[in-house]
Amino acid sequence: MAGELEGAKSLSGLLSGLAQSAFHGHAGITEELLHGQLYPEVPPEEFRPFLAKMRGILKSIASADMDFNQLEAFLTAQTKKQGGITCDQAAVISKFWKSHKTRIRESLLNQSRWDNGLRGLSWRVDGKSQSRHSAQIDTPVAIVELEFGKSGQESEFLCLEFDEVKVKQTLKRLSEVEESINSLMQAA
Amino acid sequence: MAESPPLREPVLDAKSEVTCQLIDFQWKLGMAVSSDQCRSLKYPYVAVMLKVADHSGQVNSKSIKMTIPQFQNFYRQFKEIAAVIETV
Repeated sequence: MAGELEGAKSLSGLLSGLAQSAFHGHAGITEELLHGQLYPEVPPEEFRPFLAKMRGILKSIASADMDFNQLEAFLTAQTKKQGGITCDQAAVISKFWKSHKTRIRESLLNQSRWDNGLRGLSWRVDGKSQSRHSAQIDTPVAIVELEFGKSGQESEFLCLEFDEVKVKQTLKRLSEVEESINSLMQAA
Repeated sequence: MAESPPLREPVLDAKSEVTCQLIDFQWKLGMAVSSDQCRSLKYPYVAVMLKVADHSGQVNSKSIKMTIPQFQNFYRQFKEIAAVIETV
């Protein structure tokens, strides 16, 4: 019993390491590290194919974004295969996917976003403003700062000034987007 | 005199900001279907194209993508801005 538990912990750790490396962009997680930390008693020539098998399974599950029915079916098939996985291993993988699915999916989405993604929005409203570019003073102005950037790159900032009219115009545009989203969600 | 790299000023510090005017705002609602990393993306997103002018009149375009929850937060914040700016 203790041996099985130990196996489950190691496999769980392995899957975490694989996920960090394959999806979350963590560069330092090598085969040597995983071997040494989690399966030190297993000879390297046995560990290597085992690692490859687990990596393949995890990638298949993530790529298909499997729901729990699909996951069950997939893992069951893997247990029946020659050189597949054990039922215990299937249980560990299942548990891992259930708790990490959302995070892994998010990382995969981020990897597919090659242009600027919104990272933050801050704003304030100034009661009085004086600008040599504007004829009006004492007009309330909203200052909105957008933070955005490409995956893996540093943030860029854009600082925009809106008077009340501009705020309303922008709001109208945003409500058009909202309507479009609602239609999309209803159609789905 | 050597220039030190500009520090990111906190947003509330008014005087150091250089602000732009928004000239045009275009949007699209898209869906990322599949990629080489993930065959089943199913990822709806909002993409906005902002045309902005700085004080010298120079016009630049910036394209920014956001997830649906991010957009909804964006929209909610703008509604708050509208509510506040009316009362000032």
